[in-house]
Amino acid sequence: MSVYKHNYRGYDGKLTPGWARIFVLTRYGYAEAWSSKITVGIFILGLLPCIVFLFAIYLANNPMARLLLGNHAPRILAINAGFFLDLLQVQAGPALVLAAWLAPRLITFDLADDALPILLSHPISRFGYVFGKWVALSASLSLVTWIPALVLFAYQGYSSPQPWAAANLPIAVGLIAGALIWIAFLSLLGLALSSWVKWRVVATGVIFAAILVPAGVGGVMGAVLRTKWGLLLNVPFMMSVLWQRLLGVPGFASSEASLPTAGISAMLMLACLLCVAMLYARIRAREVVRG
Amino acid sequence: MKDQIIFENVSKFYGEVLGVNRISLAIPSGVTALVGPNGSGKTTLLNLMTGLVQPSSGHISVLGLSPGSATEFFSNVGYCTQFDSFPRGITGWQFIFDSLMLHGMSKAEAARLTRESLERVQLGDAANRRIAGYSKGMRQKTRLAQAIAHHPRVLVLDEPLNGLDPMARAESIALFEELGRQGMHLLISSHILDEVDRISDRVVLITGGYLIAEGNIHQVRQEVREKPMQVFIRCDHPEVLASKMFAINHCVEARLHADGGGLLLRTGDIDQFYSALNAIAAEGLVKIEAVAPADDDANAIYQYLIGSDGSAL
Amino acid sequence: MGIIDLEGLEVRLGNRTVLNGLTGALQGHVIGLLGPNGAGKSTLINTLLGFHRPSRGSAHVFGLDTHRDRAQIRAGIGYMPENDSFIGNMSGVRFVRYMAELAGLPAGKALERAHEALFFVGLGEVRYRQVSTYSLGMKQLIKLAQALAHGPKLLILDEPTNGLDPIARQRMIQLIKDIRKEGSVRLLISSHLLPDIDETCDEVLILKNGRIAALRNIEEERRSNRSFMELETVGATEQFSVRIRGLGCECACFPGGRIKLVIPDHVEARDLYVIASEQGVQIRRMNQRRDSLEDIFLRAMDQEWAGPAHVSL
Repeated sequence: MSVYKHNYRGYDGKLTPGWARIFVLTRYGYAEAWSSKITVGIFILGLLPCIVFLFAIYLANNPMARLLLGNHAPRILAINAGFFLDLLQVQAGPALVLAAWLAPRLITFDLADDALPILLSHPISRFGYVFGKWVALSASLSLVTWIPALVLFAYQGYSSPQPWAAANLPIAVGLIAGALIWIAFLSLLGLALSSWVKWRVVATGVIFAAILVPAGVGGVMGAVLRTKWGLLLNVPFMMSVLWQRLLGVPGFASSEASLPTAGISAMLMLACLLCVAMLYARIRAREVVRG
Repeated sequence: MKDQIIFENVSKFYGEVLGVNRISLAIPSGVTALVGPNGSGKTTLLNLMTGLVQPSSGHISVLGLSPGSATEFFSNVGYCTQFDSFPRGITGWQFIFDSLMLHGMSKAEAARLTRESLERVQLGDAANRRIAGYSKGMRQKTRLAQAIAHHPRVLVLDEPLNGLDPMARAESIALFEELGRQGMHLLISSHILDEVDRISDRVVLITGGYLIAEGNIHQVRQEVREKPMQVFIRCDHPEVLASKMFAINHCVEARLHADGGGLLLRTGDIDQFYSALNAIAAEGLVKIEAVAPADDDANAIYQYLIGSDGSAL
Repeated sequence: MGIIDLEGLEVRLGNRTVLNGLTGALQGHVIGLLGPNGAGKSTLINTLLGFHRPSRGSAHVFGLDTHRDRAQIRAGIGYMPENDSFIGNMSGVRFVRYMAELAGLPAGKALERAHEALFFVGLGEVRYRQVSTYSLGMKQLIKLAQALAHGPKLLILDEPTNGLDPIARQRMIQLIKDIRKEGSVRLLISSHLLPDIDETCDEVLILKNGRIAALRNIEEERRSNRSFMELETVGATEQFSVRIRGLGCECACFPGGRIKLVIPDHVEARDLYVIASEQGVQIRRMNQRRDSLEDIFLRAMDQEWAGPAHVSL
C-alpha cells in the first residue's frame, strides 16, 4: 500500500504548434456560439427559405409540374444565375441576424470581466485573437449562406435532365465569392462593434443599426441631392449589385442607379479599415489613461 | 453615553439574508480594529454605524447622535469605504471639494479643507488629475482624504490600507494613531493582522453575522481558556530545554520546531513560565537565541475563534 | 545570466518615461518586486510580458528578448494579474482548460492538468460552477490555477493576496511556498505587503521613480549575524537596563518594557538572563535583529519620515 501525494508538477511534454493556438480560440468560440438554443433557432429559421428554393428546383425539373404550370413555366422555374442571385439576397438576411446575435457572444464575455490581460499573456497576438474569433463567426455564417447554396447547386446539377453543372460552374464560383465577401464583412463589423459596446443586447441592436441606418441616410441623401452616390451608404444595395456582377446576371437597375464596382469596393474597404481601427483600439491588454 | 458608539441588540436582515444578528457593542474613543472573514457582516456593521442602512431591530447611538438628525450626524461621521468607484470624469480635488460643499460650508472654507486633507494624505500634486488616471493607491488616498476632510469625530475606515505601498501604509497607520490619540473614535477594518496589532489594542471580531469577541487583544487572548499560551524559543539544545521545562513548570506541551533549532511550548501559567526560563537560561546549559510569544496577537485570536472555513469555533 | 536580464531598459507610455534605464540581472528563485505606487512595477511586468515595447535598451527573460520573442516567452510564463480577470460564463474547469490549450498544451493534457491545477489550489469543490459565481478568494485562486496549469517556467504574481481574509492569505502564501519547493518554476511576486515578500522571496528588486533603488539577495542577508537585540520585559525594566549597561551594552528603553540594545562580543544572552533572574525581571520577547526587509526598503527609499503634520480637530 502506498500513500500518494498530489503536489504541483511541471509540464515538459509536447506543445502544439504556434498557429494551432488561433484555432483553439476558434474552437472555443464556436462552441460558445452554438451552446445557445437561440443560435440553433436562428439557424433553423434561416434555412427555411432554402427549403422553398429546394422545392422550386424540384418543381423545375419535374415534368409534371412543368405541365401544370403551362406557359408560365419558363419564367417562374428558370434555374439560372438569377435564381441563385435571389437565393443569395434572401439568405443575406439570416446571415445578418445570425451575425448580430453571435458576434457579441464571442467578444463581450471576454471583455466583461477583463479577461484580456490573461488571454493576451498567452502566446497569441492581438491579431491572432481577432482572427480566431473571426474564423469562428465566418464558419457559423457560412452554414446559412454559401454552404446551403452549394448544396442547392449540386441538387440542381443532379436532378437536371441535361448536363447542367459543368456549364454553370461560374455560378457556383460567383456564389462562393459573393457569400464570402458578405460574410467576411459582416464578421468584421460584428466583432468591431461588439468590442465597443458593453451589453450584448445593445451590441446586437447596434449591428443591425450599422447596416440599416446608413442605408436610410443614403436614401435620404439620394432623394434630396438627386444623386446616385447616396447608395454608397447602402450596404445591402451595394452587395446586391456586387452579387449581380459576380453571378453574371444582366443588370436590373437603371443606369442612373448603377454604381461602379471600384466605388463599391472602396466603400467596403473603408468600412473594414474602420472596423480594424476599432478593434485595434479596444483589444489591448492594458488601457493607458491620459491626464 | 455621549462619548461612545453604542449598539444595543442590533440586527439587520436584507430580506432573508442575514447581515448581522443581535450585536451589542460599546466602542470608546481611540482606535478599534474590526476583524473578520469576507462576508462576515463587517461592511453591514460599518454601514449601520455610519447611518447608511437602518437596523431591522435594535438601537444604535453614535456619540449620542442618531442617523435621524442627519445633518448633525453626518457632519460628525466620516466613512472611507472599500469600494473603488468614483463619479466619472472628475479630478481628486473636485471629488473632495464637492463632498465638502454637501456639508453646507462656503466655497472658501471647502477649498481650504480640501487642500488640507489632500496634504495630510500626501496627494497634493496629483489632485488636479482625473481620478480615472490614478493608480489604486492614489484612489485609496483620495477616499481617505474625503473621509477626514470635514474633521469628523467618528472615522470609519473599511480596509483603508488596500493598495498602498509600505511607506504609505506606515504613514497612514501613524495618521490613525495620531487621530486616535486626539480623542477621535476610529473603527478600522482590516485583513492584515500584523498591522492590526500595530494600530490598535482593541479588537472586534465578527463572523457569520455574529459578534465573536470584543476588547483588548491580550485580554481576549487570555479568555480563550481552551488554548494555553504558546511561546516560541529559539535555542541550541531544544530537547534539553524541553525536559527541564517539563520538570519544573506546568508545561502542557512542547513541540520541536521543524528546523530543529527551536521549541514551541504551551503553558498554563505564563508568569511562572518566564521566571523558570530565567533560571534555566542563567544556568547556562542552554543558549537562548530568541524568545517570542507565539500567540498573543490578533492572528492567534483569529485562528482560535474563527475556523478555517470562516465559521465560529 | 539570470532569469531576467535588464540592460538599460527604458519604457515610455504616452509622453512619460515610466521606466528609466533599468539595468540588472535577477537570479533568485523567488523574486520580490517592491516599490511605491507609480514606481513602474506594473509597467515592468507588462514589458516582460511583451505588452510594452522598450523605447531604448532591452529586457530578456530566459535569454529571450521581450519584444522580439514575446510569443515564445509567453508560452513559458504564467501570469496572475492584480485585478479581476476571468471569463464569467465559463465553468472553472473550462476556463483553466481554455487557457492551458492557448498556452500550447494538447487538448487531452490540458483537461488533465486543469483538474490538477484546480485541485492543487483548493478549488476542487467548485470547479464545475461558473466563475462569475465565485467569491473573491476563489477568483484569486482561479487566476493562480490558470497561471499554473500549463507548467510555466516563470510565474508572475501581481498582488496575490489582494483582498484575501487572513486565513485565505495564509493559504495563498503556503501555495506559493509549495510551488517554490517543487523547484521547476521561478516566481516573480509584486506586493505591497512586506511580510508576504519576506516570507516567500529570496531576492528583492525595489523600484523607485522608474529606476532600480535596490537589488538585494535577502536570503544571504538573513544568514548574516548582527549584534543588535530587541527585548520586551516585564518587571523592573529601568534597573535592568542600568545593569546591562554595566556589562558594556548600549541600550535604549521604550515604553511597554521594550529595550533595544547593542551587545558587544564578550556578552552573551545568558548574561542577560542572569541579571534578569537576580532582578526578578521576565524577558518576554527576545530577538536578534538582522537587517529586516523593512530596513532594506526604507534605506532604498532614502527617506526618514516623521509622523504626519499635527492634526487638529
